[in-house]
Amino acid sequence: MFYFEKRQQTPGYLKALIPIISLLLGLFIGALAILITGINPLLVYKGLFLNAFGSWYAFSETLVAAVPLILITSGLIVVFRMNVWNIGAYGQYIMGAIFSSYFALFASNGLSKPVMLTVMVIASMVGGAIWALIPTLLKIFWEVNEVITTLLLNYIALYILKFLMYGPWKNPSSYGFPLSKTFPDTAILPIIFKGTRLTIAIIFALLAVLVVWFLIKKSKFGYEVRVIGDNPLAARYAGISVNRNIIIGMAISGALAGLAGMTEVSGIVHYLQVKIGADYGYTSIIVAWIAYLDPLITVLASVLFGGLASGGYSIQITMRVSYGIVGLIESITLFSLVGAQIFLNYRIRWKNGSS
Amino acid sequence: MAHHSIYIVLFANTVKAGTILLFPTIGEIFAERAGILNLGVEGMMLIGAFVGFVVAYTTKNPYMGFLAGVLAGGFASLIHAFISITLRGNQIVSGLALTIFGGGFTTFYGQKWINMTLTHTLTPVKIPMLSSIPYIGMIFFNQDLIVYLSYIVVFVMWFILYKTRLGLNLRAVGENAKAANAMGISVYKVRYGWTFFGGLLAGAGGAYLTTAYAPFWLDGITAGRGWIAIALVIFAMWDPVKALVGAYLFGGINALQFQLQATGTTIPSAILNMLPYIGTFIVIIISSIIVKTRHIKPPKELGIPYIREEK
Repeated sequence: MFYFEKRQQTPGYLKALIPIISLLLGLFIGALAILITGINPLLVYKGLFLNAFGSWYAFSETLVAAVPLILITSGLIVVFRMNVWNIGAYGQYIMGAIFSSYFALFASNGLSKPVMLTVMVIASMVGGAIWALIPTLLKIFWEVNEVITTLLLNYIALYILKFLMYGPWKNPSSYGFPLSKTFPDTAILPIIFKGTRLTIAIIFALLAVLVVWFLIKKSKFGYEVRVIGDNPLAARYAGISVNRNIIIGMAISGALAGLAGMTEVSGIVHYLQVKIGADYGYTSIIVAWIAYLDPLITVLASVLFGGLASGGYSIQITMRVSYGIVGLIESITLFSLVGAQIFLNYRIRWKNGSS
Repeated sequence: MAHHSIYIVLFANTVKAGTILLFPTIGEIFAERAGILNLGVEGMMLIGAFVGFVVAYTTKNPYMGFLAGVLAGGFASLIHAFISITLRGNQIVSGLALTIFGGGFTTFYGQKWINMTLTHTLTPVKIPMLSSIPYIGMIFFNQDLIVYLSYIVVFVMWFILYKTRLGLNLRAVGENAKAANAMGISVYKVRYGWTFFGGLLAGAGGAYLTTAYAPFWLDGITAGRGWIAIALVIFAMWDPVKALVGAYLFGGINALQFQLQATGTTIPSAILNMLPYIGTFIVIIISSIIVKTRHIKPPKELGIPYIREEK
């Protein structure tokens, strides 16, 4: 039998090794899953890699997918560090998209582009924050479990979006498709690299990372977040308002997810539709974990998983390999990451005989 | 008479739709009673639904399908058990990973099954005598065998929980693992066992969905029912009999929604489809307030890994 023995010290290389091994394990199990269907997994992975990183255009599409991941994950990091589980980034993202679309669709008259876009950014952040604060207040006042409420609010947001798209906001000339009218030009984020779909949203994303990095590493708020994460009781004794910090953290988290929704409709799609960013909510949780809740590593992890998502979409079209493979790889990676945390603090020992 | 039959159909469908939620809710209650929070119910249900559908389709036998779906759910739960019990990993994140896994797995292998329909589904089997009771008989005793199985499960699990040594050990582990260990109970075995049981029942809920209620395959067919089941655990305050009430309540919302859509209503379908989630949202708030004010405690060691001291 084996048992775990507490380590005196965590070797530095292990911290770097665990995410890499986890990702490789995800890819390996994914390869087995593909193999069972009778397809050569190496060909699939080659296609996936080339469609994610093989050319400047492919890489630009990877960055297009990475931008919302960076935005959402940098917000999640703040609350995950306090052991508050915002699983509702998808709903907050939808709310951000809806709030900003309202201005693009119904209140764009006479506004110049910079004003319009500023209004949309603010609206999206307010929308996302509101959607995040509902479960936060319920948690603080009545101890309602935020995992369940944030998750349920994803479905509720999705059906609000569907209601709008099939009903009042539907484009009358969309031939029955659930989408809105196209945004006016003033409501569309400018492209920064010609020939790609990369907009100034990439600057929003990097700004968000810097702000969150500063908040976490350099501010009093970040210090309090760390104390709360380590021991909420001790934080209370030290005079830290746990509730206040959770409210601020969730507002930031919701606002950034909302902003990600705005960058999708205003930067990529140019109208509102039912299918927007369904995977970002879950993928961002994996990105946060593989980056050890560190804002700077998040950028790298987002590019990796952005590539997996973007490459996954491409091979679904070109090689007819289901997009489900992305979920499989992601989930195995996450299982491995969570399971391997123990090796940071313990080592395996073997003992003779049975027990 | 025709007027009455509409209600009987509605209530009979309530029981059917409720059964989909009842199995996973009871399974999760027992896993949580043992101290293991498994947020992978949605993923396990999806796997059970898919495997159940495929086996029922290929064997042309819905019972075989149901059984296969149950086992598939059980196996899926073992991943979570290994990570949260043996490796003491974060149960919230591991459970979410299981949900993502179930989604990825069924999307990947389900691609070529989309929109296929079962030719052989679970059919009602009237129980003699009982089925001729007015109203009640048609609602509760003119169902398929799996619905009857769910009645038995509720009763047996209530009995096990409160009246047997097995239930005592289970509660001991969830309330105070250290003390349970000192009493000679193997915390790991109890936790593995009940997590696996939770997986079997989540698989049962999913498999019942595709072999009886909606006998076709669609991507993400469980549509968040796993999360509703997790919320129902709190509504039921970790009690299998109260789980029955909660499951039928939400089965009722589902059945009503279906009936309204079938008869043609002016309410937009997006609003109708939102109802179960709004309902769950309200119920979880009310239940949480009740749990808080009446000082009903969830299992004390819920979500906390157990570390046995080594000599």
